[in-house]
Amino acid sequence: MILLALALFSGPAAWAAGMSRGFNQLLDAVVRIDVREADFDGGSRRFEASIGSGVLLSSDGLILTNAHVASPRAVEITITLASLERVGAKLVGWDHWTDLALLRLDMADVRRRHLKLTHGEFGDSEKLYTGETVYAVGTPFGLTRTVTRGIISNSDRYFEDDNGVDGYETGAFNTWLQTDAAINPGNSGGPLVTEDGRIVGITSRAYLGANNLGFAIPADVAKVIVAGLVQSGTITRSYIGLVPKALQDFEAFFSLALDNGMLIDSVDPGSPAARAGLAGGDILLAINGRKIDGRFPERLPPIQNMIASQPVGANLILTVKRGAAVSDVSVVTEPLESSVGEEWVLDAWGLSVRKVSRTFARVNQLPDDTGVLVIGIQPGFPADTAGLETGDIVTKIDEKPLASLEVIKAAHAAYVARPAPTLFEVLRDRRISLIILKP
Amino acid sequence: MKLPSGRYFLALSALFFLGGGLARAADIPALWAERVKCAVAVEYFTESESERRTTVAYGVVIDRAGTIILPPGAIDSHVPPGQLKEFKIFVPGDPVNATGVYLGQDAFTGWHFVRAEEKVRARLVPVTDFAAAGRSPVPALDEEVWGIGLRPLEEDFMPYILTSHVALIQALPQLTGEAQQEVAGPGLPVFNRAGVFVGLALNSGAQPYMLYSQMNRGGAPVLVVDVTESSLFDLADEVLPYLGRIPKNVDGRPLAWLGADGLEPMDRDVADFLKLGDQSGAVVSEVLEGSPAEKAGMKDHDIIIAIDGRPLPVFRPNRYVTDFVDREIERRRPGDVLALTVLRGTDRVPLRATLGDEPTLIREARRRYFERIGFTAREFVYGDAIERRIKVGQSAGVVVHYVKPNTPAAIAGLEPDDWIKEIDGVAIGTFADAVAELSSIEADQLRTEFVLLVSRGGDTAVLRVKLK
Repeated sequence: MILLALALFSGPAAWAAGMSRGFNQLLDAVVRIDVREADFDGGSRRFEASIGSGVLLSSDGLILTNAHVASPRAVEITITLASLERVGAKLVGWDHWTDLALLRLDMADVRRRHLKLTHGEFGDSEKLYTGETVYAVGTPFGLTRTVTRGIISNSDRYFEDDNGVDGYETGAFNTWLQTDAAINPGNSGGPLVTEDGRIVGITSRAYLGANNLGFAIPADVAKVIVAGLVQSGTITRSYIGLVPKALQDFEAFFSLALDNGMLIDSVDPGSPAARAGLAGGDILLAINGRKIDGRFPERLPPIQNMIASQPVGANLILTVKRGAAVSDVSVVTEPLESSVGEEWVLDAWGLSVRKVSRTFARVNQLPDDTGVLVIGIQPGFPADTAGLETGDIVTKIDEKPLASLEVIKAAHAAYVARPAPTLFEVLRDRRISLIILKP
Repeated sequence: MKLPSGRYFLALSALFFLGGGLARAADIPALWAERVKCAVAVEYFTESESERRTTVAYGVVIDRAGTIILPPGAIDSHVPPGQLKEFKIFVPGDPVNATGVYLGQDAFTGWHFVRAEEKVRARLVPVTDFAAAGRSPVPALDEEVWGIGLRPLEEDFMPYILTSHVALIQALPQLTGEAQQEVAGPGLPVFNRAGVFVGLALNSGAQPYMLYSQMNRGGAPVLVVDVTESSLFDLADEVLPYLGRIPKNVDGRPLAWLGADGLEPMDRDVADFLKLGDQSGAVVSEVLEGSPAEKAGMKDHDIIIAIDGRPLPVFRPNRYVTDFVDREIERRRPGDVLALTVLRGTDRVPLRATLGDEPTLIREARRRYFERIGFTAREFVYGDAIERRIKVGQSAGVVVHYVKPNTPAAIAGLEPDDWIKEIDGVAIGTFADAVAELSSIEADQLRTEFVLLVSRGGDTAVLRVKLK
């Protein structure tokens, strides 16, 4: 009783005396991020500027932010520290699936200018409770170091978005924290913290036009990603090709116990799971003997993450139910690939392209991953004059199949050196056209 | 006639032409009154699960048996003939109508054939009565041509006259006349001064206009299509030789089939690049599985450059070359041999394809509507396998043709074109299997739900259909 009363009093007392030391330290660790990035969309290389937020994680200059703030397209990243000093930074690595990116300050510059760095500490997002007070710190609309307050509205929010991070997939492997702390454009990448200043999430998105429906990547997810990016600059995940669906209401139909099984909605053609004979309508009961429970949508990301966390090339034993029969099948995982391939611009043709990835080829029912997708055309340039359109897939140039971006880059370089008519084979709506790009 | 020049003679010459005009005015109405009897309006219904839509088209009478041809666009060729109902034949200017029977579409000309009932036939005159003996005259540039137009239904399709002059004759790929103004209703005949049949009006071409408005002061390009009158017409010799192509059945079978899919024109720049000179060509996007083209050894991306030893003609615009190839196939019959030359890389490869009979078309597929569930299942046919990139031998299941809004099927998220592979976990083989399964589900009043496995764009989805 007494303890409880003390606890109740201690909150407001601390509040009255100002924010905690931890909170003030955290404020000094929050930075503004100005990014200039290349945009290939228009058939030419253009630059766009954007503003986001981030938080320093270490004394050696690591900054955590969102993947949609700083991506490999970034050509210049400038950090504004709490002291208002500006320092350059480089991308260490990014992971669009969790919408996280890691930057490193130009430490030589920091040392030369004797700048002092303060860094934040992660808290335990697993222990958050609904209703707990949290603060979002960031740069909404460029208003540096803005603090807003709210509560945890939901600590296990599910949403997946196939093109949520600048056209890249996100959300399949984690759930999100939802908060009513005001989140506006520019808050992205800033920390969501508890009263003691511990980072429990990285704010990433909000419903525009709604009232305070904001979302953050939980710190427990971020810790793993940060460690992976520091180590290798990239996050490697395993893929077997299952598209899950919550069982919700299907248990009786499939004669399942209430706490076991995940419905396989679809199996990607040509994937390890497809080769193992799995098909939509099967029920996945266990992975390597570990029972799984995919009854609700919120339970799907952890299952997906469990598969993704396996080493690439690992052999998984899937226990699968089809009709009344239960059987074990073995699949070997492959590396997970985004449907968005590498992008490039071929200036002399006024053409920007994106490599067709295996995933893109599968989703669009292409025979294989040969070719580049046209993502931009500059009016009046040879690609435009010849009749190329956004969405076309160029499969061959001068009879050479486009197995990689290098092939088209080489053809473009040859054209620049000695402009001559060039033959493109183009796939549009399953129809093959031959067109000539003329100087 | 050479006219004297000078102001003084101007009045005289005007007078002279006025006189000529009067003479013309005397005979054209008589010719017109006679020839109006070969024009009719045809009304029909397209009846689907959810609606009944009425369409009006113009047609021309081609024989004394009351046979009428309608232009290709008069009826959507994707609609199953079973859904075309209640053909009515209107004699222009007469409020009373007669019934007609739909005979089917001819693949080569694209015409739809309808036959009028006995009682009205005496009032109709075939257009062949006005055709020249032997070859039909080709109207010269600027020659006067005239035709028949019909007012709308509420004016009892009152006939009227349209007069124009020839502006251009072009191969598109058939010889097509273009008049300086609208010359006839689409599907209605065009005559010369002497009243000789010289052409059949096509659907009018799209006219490019600029649209200026408050919102868009710079103007926006729009295409305007006149659906009641047309200035384009097929020359008579592109019409008369083919009037005998009356379909033997409503599906227009047999249909000659090559199986070289997605033909795309090869343009002049490409021909230059490939050092083909003035050669025209059509690129084959895909050689279909099991087709005559495949059996003849044709490969994807071959370029067809000659048929029966004759190089493909050059068209302006060059896209008409694919129509030309299609017509060369459609004018033949299954079993006929088509000799082709294709360009493969730099090699010219001769091929001999024995044309087959087109596999069952989607419009011919069997279908069944399930009222309680709320959707129409359709037989899985050859085109479905091609569309979904599966081996024809693996064809199974049924395709969703229609989903009625607010029914159990719609609420479950079923969509048109979904491919149903399993019902209640049981793989569906044939259309009959699916009908048996779905009928038994519908008949079972105690049934509260069932589960469908559907394939959509290469992915699958498990759908739960709640019946109560």
